[in-house]
Amino acid sequence: MFRKIKDPLPAKSREEMPHAKLNMKYKDWINTHKKRHTWRIRRWTVLLFLNILFTLSFMFDLALLEGSLSGSRLLGFYLIDPYMAFQLFFISLKTDYLPHITMNFIIGLTTVLLFYLLMGGRTFCSWLCPYHFLAEWAEKLHNYLIKKKKIKEHVFQLGIRYVFWVGFLIIAFITERLIFETFNPVGMLSRILIYGPGLILIWIFILITFEIVYSKRFWCRYVCPVGSTWSLVGKISPMAIKFETDKCGHCRICHDACLTPHELWFVTKGKATDKIHHAGGDCTRCGNCVDICPGNALTYTFKGLDKII
Amino acid sequence: MPDKNSDKEKSRREFLKQSGWAVVGIAVAGTGLLFIDKNNKNGAGQLLLRPPGVINEEDFLYACIKCGLCIQICPIHAIKLADADMGLSIDTPYIDARQQACDFSCDSLQCAETCPTAALDFIKFKETGVETAIELQPKIDAGEIDGGDVFKIAIANMKKAVHIGFAIVNEKSCLAVQGKGFKGTPRGSEFKGVLRYRDISASKAQLVSEQIFDREVCDLCVIHCPIEGAIQLKEQSPANGNKKWIPEVTETCTGCGVCEMVCPTEHASIVIKPGLSYEEAKNV
Repeated sequence: MFRKIKDPLPAKSREEMPHAKLNMKYKDWINTHKKRHTWRIRRWTVLLFLNILFTLSFMFDLALLEGSLSGSRLLGFYLIDPYMAFQLFFISLKTDYLPHITMNFIIGLTTVLLFYLLMGGRTFCSWLCPYHFLAEWAEKLHNYLIKKKKIKEHVFQLGIRYVFWVGFLIIAFITERLIFETFNPVGMLSRILIYGPGLILIWIFILITFEIVYSKRFWCRYVCPVGSTWSLVGKISPMAIKFETDKCGHCRICHDACLTPHELWFVTKGKATDKIHHAGGDCTRCGNCVDICPGNALTYTFKGLDKII
Repeated sequence: MPDKNSDKEKSRREFLKQSGWAVVGIAVAGTGLLFIDKNNKNGAGQLLLRPPGVINEEDFLYACIKCGLCIQICPIHAIKLADADMGLSIDTPYIDARQQACDFSCDSLQCAETCPTAALDFIKFKETGVETAIELQPKIDAGEIDGGDVFKIAIANMKKAVHIGFAIVNEKSCLAVQGKGFKGTPRGSEFKGVLRYRDISASKAQLVSEQIFDREVCDLCVIHCPIEGAIQLKEQSPANGNKKWIPEVTETCTGCGVCEMVCPTEHASIVIKPGLSYEEAKNV
């Protein structure tokens, strides 16, 4: 939105990519890179491990990671979901509840905000959110159905999720209830995994079906205010995906693998304006592009740190 | 005048249109849920029995962030999560006293202590604890009480300061009112509820179904009550000669629900009314 308008760098020719040295055709060379899933395996391991740890902590009274994704205790330290906290603060403006809130709450909220300020973007989504895990599979199914021409894609404006972000805060303020939390699939699913299933599974099922047959990643992309909070926080975060224009052959397979392709706008031929670009706040730091890029043009980076080391 | 067909102008118009739908969606969700909740027997107004330390229900419904920490920390798993049929109370903690009551056998009312938003407010309990310690200080100095016992007494006082509801006796079905005794296990052999019987073990909870009682006049609620003197049997001798006993709930009742849990009649003859105070109960 606030990108500086510059003239794009001249696109690099494919002939300079590494395949030339290997005497391979560009297309064949790219195909050799399609099967690596290092980061995806790591990511799914972390996601499943943490969500199972929640469940195990409850089942066996382990006191490792108690609570759920809306509020938890990691080895005794509180962690609070910021969007939940914002809603609570907003309502508190009206009801003078604010002074009652415990220090643990403030500490938990600050810890989480600081963590995502550093680790950036929608990292939470792809590394921790159980709904994201379901939606990732839904996305694959959706893509398959699109390819078979069974369904049509429906795209909306990405900006509307900020309308939802503000809207749910306002509706919380008006009604003095956590309206959003009664159908927030992130918290719902987390609690279902920990405390057992409930009627609300029907709602999750409807959402996923909608994402499969109508619009790709509808909830995550256009609605989820929890994720939008991370997008806002992650705009300035140092942990990011670095893109080096020199190494890019513009094959765009990263664009196909990306969960938030609009953040990889610079990989399109003739769009990149700098030698180095960083993916923005919407990027989930999932590492799909890092895994797949044949020229290693995309890598994880921690801004500032790579200069020191 | 912006070009009507330019991409920017198009996407701007798309955005406004979709924002409109978003706002409509939020408004519908908000009013819809409030409407459903107002008309739900389990919604706000008709209360659920909340864990100890609960603030008033209106505030509780937004202050509770549905994290479930209180559920995890309860040693006898008395606290449960409400399901979607409870309206806007969905995923908030409640106690189903008939199935598993809170028996105050925990160390320090951890459910309230662990709550990050003070929806279960620990501060008033903390104050009670401090007051007790201050009151007992002269006795400790005089050597009447061992210093180590102060903590125990403070905790006991904190538990007495809990008020989550009030027990109401149904005299029509109560066995004691009919002058009947009780033999056997209160809720049958299938019942899963547990309680900590101090005379059996201080730390391990026992299945209620494994306990066998033989009472001349049924007073299970009285002998199970964790708060001293919260319920008593009052003997009455009417003119016709049939003796009867009426369980009388006093002001100290915390609403924990143990009496409701152990009551052996088919439908509990003593039931906790959530959020009810002693004064309100007297007027009923």
